[in-house]
Amino acid sequence: MTVFKTYCKVLTKCKWPILLYTVILIFFSAFNTQNNDTSTMFSATRPKIHIINLDENSDVSKHFITYLNDHSDIIDFDSEEAVSDALFYHKISCVITIPKNFGEDFYQGKDVHIDIKSTKDYQGSLIEMMLERYVKVATAYVSIFDDHHDLFQAIDQTLATEVETSIASSLDSDSLNKAALYFNFSNYCLVAGCVFVICMILTSFKSDHIRKRTIISSLNYKKYNRQLLLSNGVFTFVLWLFYIVLSILLVGNAMFTLHGLLYMLNSFVFAFCSLCLAFLIANLVKNKEAINGIVNVLALGSSFLCGAFVPMEMLPEGVLKAAHVLPSYWFIKNNETLKTLETLNTDTLQPIFINMLVIFAFSCLFIIISNIIAKKKRKIN
Amino acid sequence: MEPVIEVKNLTKEYKKLKAVNDLSFEVQKGEILGLLGPNGSGKSTTINCILSLLKFSKGSIRIFGQEMKPNAYDIKRKIGVVFQEVAVFDELSVYDNIDYFCGLYVKDKKQRRQYIEDAIQLVGLEDFKKFLPKQLSGGLLRRLNIACGIAHKPSLIFLDEPTVAVDPQSRNNILDGIKTLRDQGATIVYTTHYMEEVELLCDRVIIIDKGQILASGTNDELKALANMEEKVTIETKHLRKEQFDYLQSLPNVLEATYQAHQLVIVYRQGNHNLSHLMEYFKQEQIQYDRMYSQRPTLNDVFLKLTGKELRD
Repeated sequence: MTVFKTYCKVLTKCKWPILLYTVILIFFSAFNTQNNDTSTMFSATRPKIHIINLDENSDVSKHFITYLNDHSDIIDFDSEEAVSDALFYHKISCVITIPKNFGEDFYQGKDVHIDIKSTKDYQGSLIEMMLERYVKVATAYVSIFDDHHDLFQAIDQTLATEVETSIASSLDSDSLNKAALYFNFSNYCLVAGCVFVICMILTSFKSDHIRKRTIISSLNYKKYNRQLLLSNGVFTFVLWLFYIVLSILLVGNAMFTLHGLLYMLNSFVFAFCSLCLAFLIANLVKNKEAINGIVNVLALGSSFLCGAFVPMEMLPEGVLKAAHVLPSYWFIKNNETLKTLETLNTDTLQPIFINMLVIFAFSCLFIIISNIIAKKKRKIN
Repeated sequence: MEPVIEVKNLTKEYKKLKAVNDLSFEVQKGEILGLLGPNGSGKSTTINCILSLLKFSKGSIRIFGQEMKPNAYDIKRKIGVVFQEVAVFDELSVYDNIDYFCGLYVKDKKQRRQYIEDAIQLVGLEDFKKFLPKQLSGGLLRRLNIACGIAHKPSLIFLDEPTVAVDPQSRNNILDGIKTLRDQGATIVYTTHYMEEVELLCDRVIIIDKGQILASGTNDELKALANMEEKVTIETKHLRKEQFDYLQSLPNVLEATYQAHQLVIVYRQGNHNLSHLMEYFKQEQIQYDRMYSQRPTLNDVFLKLTGKELRD
């Protein structure tokens, strides 16, 4: 285990960069999860509406307008043209027209129809819902109460009733959002950590002079390579485990759900891919000074291009298409998909596993290229 | 007695260039063999072929009576190598570096610890155990390089120009260390282009140039090839032509030159050449600044064999 022990000794010299990447990860994850809008918090809005009342003398139309006034801001305009403009430019959410003889038809039990022109946005839809609700309640009570005062009181009471609602979904979207953010950021740390550390260490071990000294030693060179490979594997696993423990601390119990386990599995596959990428870079680079620059280009570049720092939805389509050639894209895509998956079954998980396979294919490609380069180097002698 | 190293007809070709050309030699147990030659003469290539670091085109190499191959780990266990280039980890301390390279051979922790201490003592790095290589001077770094190569107490040691660019104090320390290793029974192959080191250390010398052996033997045997006994140099501004002609015509004088107020007389033989010369200068009342005598060097041998200086 001489090689492994020495690997660990050299590794301790690289502890500061790893700590720096971790601090960056914690800082950005904490910062973003604090600023992230939680989808479980709602607040009421007051849409702006305009009412054209063609049945001004009816007490039911007056009551209806009072109801609307309680839940929205009624705006008056001078002309029909001004109303049309306001609707077009979304200055108001809808125009409600109470038809002639509305009150008469209502008391006679006929079907009443209130015309509504809406912007079709969520505020317009809200007003449509309120209107529909009023008409349903009012038509239900009109046959019961003879006295108009009693009728309006009953309508008001019913409409004022608040129903307790709960979200039927069992998805802890807040925690999953946090997890997605954390693992997206971990793309940078895993790539930077693996490539930097493994390249730095392998550059030392594989430097021509030390390699020569190792070849002439009595340690079987294949055994030596196996020990080195094992050391890199152990390092990557420990780094991954460290980030998983950190994710549990930052995200919480959600990491112990099936969603959380899938996040872990996805990051494990990606950590393996980062290890293979590090092997490839270590085979290409001889100069330790160049490693820092390469790490920055690879880790930062892939993180920006693939949506680790900026949400994927905000990236131009061209950039996202180009990002397909990077394993980070498939890793981040999985994180983004996982946070929205309501149910986990074979059908919904299929794209997740396909993306993992793509990451694994990238790993194989990196290994093959590394071996070709290593063989070519050996042939030089 | 079976030789420790037996090289027969070794040839290494790089395309059309023959870096080593039909080289054959043996190294006996307990001796220090010097491979002497200018830069690019094929010394390091020969060593690399012997150690199976390079594939060779022709010939055979046997070490400890067995054929040397890349997977001959039993042989490799008994070999220590100190390359010309410093091969250490920048990230590890002096102690950890020696520990790693010794650990490639010695598994037993306790034994290894003892070996490391011995190696540190041998090269005189006791005060620098915890230092990183970048904190060491060039000379100390070379000593560390040696310690890493010999810590596992090999019985056959290859030292490839270990004193290149080393300060005199470190050079002396290194040479003393090599003598100690020889005294402990190690067989040593020492390549260098410093003839003084070869003369001081080696029991036998092989002179190589352009991948071929020009001559081999003990120091004295090789110096005999120079066909001279003594070289006397006198710094004087007052030598007349007839006096110079007289000195040149003496029967045991091989060659005499007088240039830039420096008279050099090479004697073929004779035991009291210097004292005879001093008497002549006194008798002729020739004033001189300095007069000194030199025995023939390996450089003279190399000059005689190739027509060029060793450091050309």
